[in-house]
Amino acid sequence: MPSFILRRLAAGVTTLLTLCVLTFFLLYLGAADTARNIVGQTASEEIVERKKAELGLDRPLIVQFADWAGSALTGDLGRSWFTGQEVTDALVGRLPVTLSLTIGAVLLSAIVAITIGAIAAGRRGWADRTVQVLSVAGSAVPGFLIALFLAVVFAIDLGWFPATGYIRPSDSVVGWLSTITLPVIALSVGAIAGVAQQVRGSMIDALRLDYVRTLRSRGLPHRRVVYRHVLRNASGPALSTLGLQFVVMFGGAVVVEQVFALPGLGQAAVSATSQGDIPLVMGVVIITAVIVVLVNLTVDLLQAWLNPKVRLS
Amino acid sequence: MKHSNSLVAAIALGAATVITLTSCAGTTTEPGDEAASVLRLGVVTPLTSFAPWEASWANQSPYLQAVYDTLLTAEPDGTVTEGLATAWEYDDAKTQLTLTLREGVEFSDGSALTAGVVAEQLIKFRDGTSENASLLRSVEGVTAPDGATVVVTLAEADPGLLGSLTKNAGLVGAEAMFADADAQTSPIGSGPYVLDEGDTVIGSTYVFTAKDDYWDADAVHYDEIVINLYGDATSLMNAVKGGQVDASASQTPTQIPEAEAAGFTANIRESDYTGFLLVDRDGTLNPALGDVRVRQAINHALDREALVEALAAGYGVPTTQIISPSNPGYDEALDDAYPYDVDKAKQLLAEAGYADGFTLVMPSNDFVPESEFAIYADQLAQIGITVEWEKVGDDLFGKMLGGAYAAFSMLLETDTSMWNSMQFSMLPWSPWNPFKVEDPKLVAWAAELATAEGDRADEIAVEVNEYIVEQAWYAPSHRLESAFFTDADTQVELQVDNAYPYLWNIQPAS
Repeated sequence: MPSFILRRLAAGVTTLLTLCVLTFFLLYLGAADTARNIVGQTASEEIVERKKAELGLDRPLIVQFADWAGSALTGDLGRSWFTGQEVTDALVGRLPVTLSLTIGAVLLSAIVAITIGAIAAGRRGWADRTVQVLSVAGSAVPGFLIALFLAVVFAIDLGWFPATGYIRPSDSVVGWLSTITLPVIALSVGAIAGVAQQVRGSMIDALRLDYVRTLRSRGLPHRRVVYRHVLRNASGPALSTLGLQFVVMFGGAVVVEQVFALPGLGQAAVSATSQGDIPLVMGVVIITAVIVVLVNLTVDLLQAWLNPKVRLS
Repeated sequence: MKHSNSLVAAIALGAATVITLTSCAGTTTEPGDEAASVLRLGVVTPLTSFAPWEASWANQSPYLQAVYDTLLTAEPDGTVTEGLATAWEYDDAKTQLTLTLREGVEFSDGSALTAGVVAEQLIKFRDGTSENASLLRSVEGVTAPDGATVVVTLAEADPGLLGSLTKNAGLVGAEAMFADADAQTSPIGSGPYVLDEGDTVIGSTYVFTAKDDYWDADAVHYDEIVINLYGDATSLMNAVKGGQVDASASQTPTQIPEAEAAGFTANIRESDYTGFLLVDRDGTLNPALGDVRVRQAINHALDREALVEALAAGYGVPTTQIISPSNPGYDEALDDAYPYDVDKAKQLLAEAGYADGFTLVMPSNDFVPESEFAIYADQLAQIGITVEWEKVGDDLFGKMLGGAYAAFSMLLETDTSMWNSMQFSMLPWSPWNPFKVEDPKLVAWAAELATAEGDRADEIAVEVNEYIVEQAWYAPSHRLESAFFTDADTQVELQVDNAYPYLWNIQPAS
């Protein structure tokens, strides 16, 4: 087990390094005139040059990268070129918002998807068909449309939730829930559809296995067979899908945070990328990559725990 | 069962982590307790910097006005009035301005406002990286003969200076900011509010709390101001409709009917103009544009009524002048100097030797809808001008201002003073005169305008405007109407010379 963890961590670090180099240089290729973007369109060329010099953008690219990487290794990710805020402060401030959304969405997806997937597999018939149709619909509709629909209906028309903004749980737990409910639902729909299908499929497969027949022949009630034994055996693939969905949701949070004006990492990523704010983009990339690596590792460990066969392979 | 329970435990742990993590930081847009009055403002432009010497203005003014005072201030009609300076006086040559500072003003760190701080501030702005650093380009030196007197020496007379001191050039921050690495994010001003850094999420939500002892208590209408940035047109409209803002700038004219339907008042002001800048007036790059008849033909080719409908959903005023009604050079008759007339345009082109038309290369970009370029090209094609759009990315401004194009379509700000308008785009040294075209008449008028006063100044302004319209230096289409939305509990007085109303002019509805 320790060597398994070490191997995965080493792979994670390699991925992270590759990502950093690629992102840095690709951003440079895309953003030709960051200094102009910072000082504004009406500024004279002289002011643009002054800004370039101030940020060190007039130095060779490789020197700039070495400078950034050197500081990053010591934990200093620099300051945002646009707001002057320390990148680490920006990330620490914004990460909780995005984590609220993604973890909330994973929890909601897990509960709803496993429940309806299990019902579909256990009951079959009309319940199964309904789940199937809803799953296809859920994965077909783009996230931003769902977000817009929820905002218009439940925030604007019905007024049950705020349409935009974020309240910290330390200020008000109820307020916090009210600000993240719609975004979490918007983020969950696609995942629920995917995971429910996964759970349904693996449970139907498991129900055909010999041990189920054996359990049934011993007179165990149907409910107990399905929800205890079969569901547990089918939970491995569902967990993998959920882990994958978490990563997808991190991407989906970009759109959802824009629609609901939530000050999360996604919102920062959008504005920083369009502006060419390289230090901030790099910070977002690093933290996202670290989270993705950790989530994958956690999923693998949970899998191994649930199913000893994984440990052997 | 042990394994299933572990899964549940893991999930529960995850939930606990969220709650712990989220309690560390974040923001609030909650109105707060009922006793405190809160103004929630929507903005569409992120703040560049709280450091006064890097500060922008226009749509960024509310962030800065919350925490800073300016040396002078402006009435809604643009009239210059007292600010941190209570008196100001020019010498006869108008190259020396003496300002007398208000007594007893303190910054939020407890330090006192002194002439020395102001003097250093002005020089820092002139030499800094603010978008508008050139507002102080005529400043040669600043001295502080005593604690309350500031003397500004100019290289040449600058009639725009007093106006500039009501804007970002006049912002004054405490001395402690000058060498502070956090100056961009931690303002220390003498303004009516202080930034609540704990509740602020930089780049998203800014929370300001009123000071108890502000020198101009009448200008403070709320206990707290929350400024929310909406980078996305949809989320801005959702915030308006969902009641998450009390007042907000608009992003596009098409939002006006939506906001009105949501019960907001759309306070409309004419702002920037849009259309073409025919910058190659000497025909350096494209000889055709060197002929005034060609430039006039382009003006006659624009169906401005149709453009207002197509580009601004009807929220615009067709015009053939770039000078706005708040500028003394404005002449209503010049809004219709070149009526839409395809035959006349073709005739002018033929007279200039371009009966078969010509090709005009212009830049297109990603932040204006593709359809807009198609409409422009279509209108020019009707008189035989073939537009070749060249897709340009982030280097658009560098290329336009560097003289890569003979003409381009653009949306540009208007100014309340003709002298400033001339400095911006009509003189050999103007940034928006990329080919540095020198017209002796304009240079002479600018020199006269530098020291002219009263009626004579207004006369020159009108003469300049008539001349550039006649010479067809530009082919504007319309002045855009922008809206500032206010809900039923909020009232506002707009500012003629600024995109965003001044903070103290946004008040509870009486």
